[in-house]
Amino acid sequence: MKVLITGASGAISRLVASAISPKAEVIGVDPRAAPSSSHFPGEFIVADYHSRKLDDVFRKHRFDAVLHLGRIRESQKYSPQYRFQMNVIGTQKLLDLCLSGGVKNLIVLSTYHVYGAHRLNSLHLNEEAPLRASQSFPELADAVELDHSATNFMWKHRDVRTTILRPVNIIGKHVRNTICSLLRSGVCPKIVGFDPLMQFIDEKDLARALILALDQSKPGVFNVGGEGVIAYSHAIRHAQAVTIPIPPMISAGLVRLLTDISKINFPPYLMDYFKYPTIVNDDAFRAVFGYQPKVKTLQSLRNLGPLSERQIESPSIDESV
Amino acid sequence: MLKRLLMETDFEQLKGILKTLEKIEVLQFPELEDRIKRLDVELNSAGFDRWGLHPETLKKFAPFIYFLYKKYFRVEAAGLAGIPQGRVLFIGNHGGQIPLDAMMAGLALFMEAEPPRIPRAMVERWVPTVPFVSSLFTRIGAMIGDPENCRELLQHDQSVLVFPEGVRGSGKLFKDRYQLQRFGTGFMRLALESRAPIVPVAIIGTEETYPSVFDFKLLAKVLGAPYFPVTPFFPLLGPLGLLPLPSKITVRFGKPLYFEGNEDDPEDQIREKVQIVKDSLQAEIDQGLEIRGEKVFTKAAR
Repeated sequence: MKVLITGASGAISRLVASAISPKAEVIGVDPRAAPSSSHFPGEFIVADYHSRKLDDVFRKHRFDAVLHLGRIRESQKYSPQYRFQMNVIGTQKLLDLCLSGGVKNLIVLSTYHVYGAHRLNSLHLNEEAPLRASQSFPELADAVELDHSATNFMWKHRDVRTTILRPVNIIGKHVRNTICSLLRSGVCPKIVGFDPLMQFIDEKDLARALILALDQSKPGVFNVGGEGVIAYSHAIRHAQAVTIPIPPMISAGLVRLLTDISKINFPPYLMDYFKYPTIVNDDAFRAVFGYQPKVKTLQSLRNLGPLSERQIESPSIDESV
Repeated sequence: MLKRLLMETDFEQLKGILKTLEKIEVLQFPELEDRIKRLDVELNSAGFDRWGLHPETLKKFAPFIYFLYKKYFRVEAAGLAGIPQGRVLFIGNHGGQIPLDAMMAGLALFMEAEPPRIPRAMVERWVPTVPFVSSLFTRIGAMIGDPENCRELLQHDQSVLVFPEGVRGSGKLFKDRYQLQRFGTGFMRLALESRAPIVPVAIIGTEETYPSVFDFKLLAKVLGAPYFPVTPFFPLLGPLGLLPLPSKITVRFGKPLYFEGNEDDPEDQIREKVQIVKDSLQAEIDQGLEIRGEKVFTKAAR
């Protein structure tokens, strides 16, 4: 089996690739260079997803499965235009290539952010819940658009079995996303009077979920959660960070300004997620794929620690934490 | 120093006050701990259940609510023995401006029913926007009154407390006390769908805690609240006016009602069934009021 993995310089791709690589031939592609030469256990190609280079990858290889894990997440670092190019145009190009390249199994990693943090959200959002994310913050429009194009593709082209996963906050020793940088930074802004429930999934559990999806190849859209819910303030405490109170009536613009000045890693466009709970129900994924998270939320929060610039020492997903 | 200052926010700050208050003798209820221990809840490693209930928070706040229950409002609960085990939809009458009624009914089930249970109260949709209250309510078992929440809870054999009058009931004026307002019908469809028995809960005495004589609609709109009550004491006496009057509260659980039918039935058929619930709740209220008689603040109702 030949598998293409996007976002190959990321932690999740490496975990998945290392777990499946002896059996399957893995090819990695990422617009960023690999952190080290031994990072990815297969051929590694540096390419933008919307570039012609990606066509060449599909000309050279015939893939059985594609894991689309690459999505530009750090909305502060990159312009909305660039993210749109990469996340939306890039994904559409990849989907077209999957269709013409005869890929049988496609897995797209979306995010729970697409539901949007809204006071009217039911406590557990299932997969049919409306995607409200871009209503208040255009920074999340590309994430919603990516999810929509993948879902459309799944319905239109049934011969490519497409599974779309919407995981909760991904945390782990090797993950470099917004929530991990925030918790690792040691200072976490918290809106006074609001302490929403949150969900976290460990990098290893997510890798396991992706492998389950790859092995079983069942089309559909699925939420993927971790062990359970935890209040934001508790998460901060267990990650050994300090809370900085911010007033509840503050505008996103002011938060943006303050975080820019103070260099605190707080994403203003995710402000509502620190105010209203956005909790997903992953019963469907558990039932259909037999998924069961193994890492306890507290364990992964405590193990977060400083991000080591070194490569992952043991990329095994079965290693006990 | 700065670090300590930063830590002392929100609940952290409250915790200090709580620690001092915990030592006060009137707030010592050893039976609370045992009740919390015996709760049938599945907790994760962080100590939360699936819906955000956090027994550790409950342990801290329950003494205060129980003090109100036991000493301040001298609550008496009747009909607890007839409540079926497993999924139940409790339908209550709403009154008294703040959800004291939900807390007292909840505490009756938590402290006096066997085994102890935490009914999940369905709260107003504006509650998530209220600082402190929003997170505290979630920790002690409440959530917004969304049909999806109610459906999932019943499917997981939880008991749910619903006030079908909503703000129409809680925000009504003193002159309209104990008159049931228009009922929503969503609860009946959910009961039919999950085959859950309905137990009417008449809560008597909360209407007298905050006798609202006027609803200041304009101010409510400015504050984003559904209503703004003006009582003879509030806002006239300032924060002191926020103190509820110590009326005696009775919580009466009626006989369980079982309904046959389909959740997709036309609205008029559902409405008929809702009327049965409403009538039986009103009868329970009237009976309770009759027993109580004129002496609102003193006489024991039985």
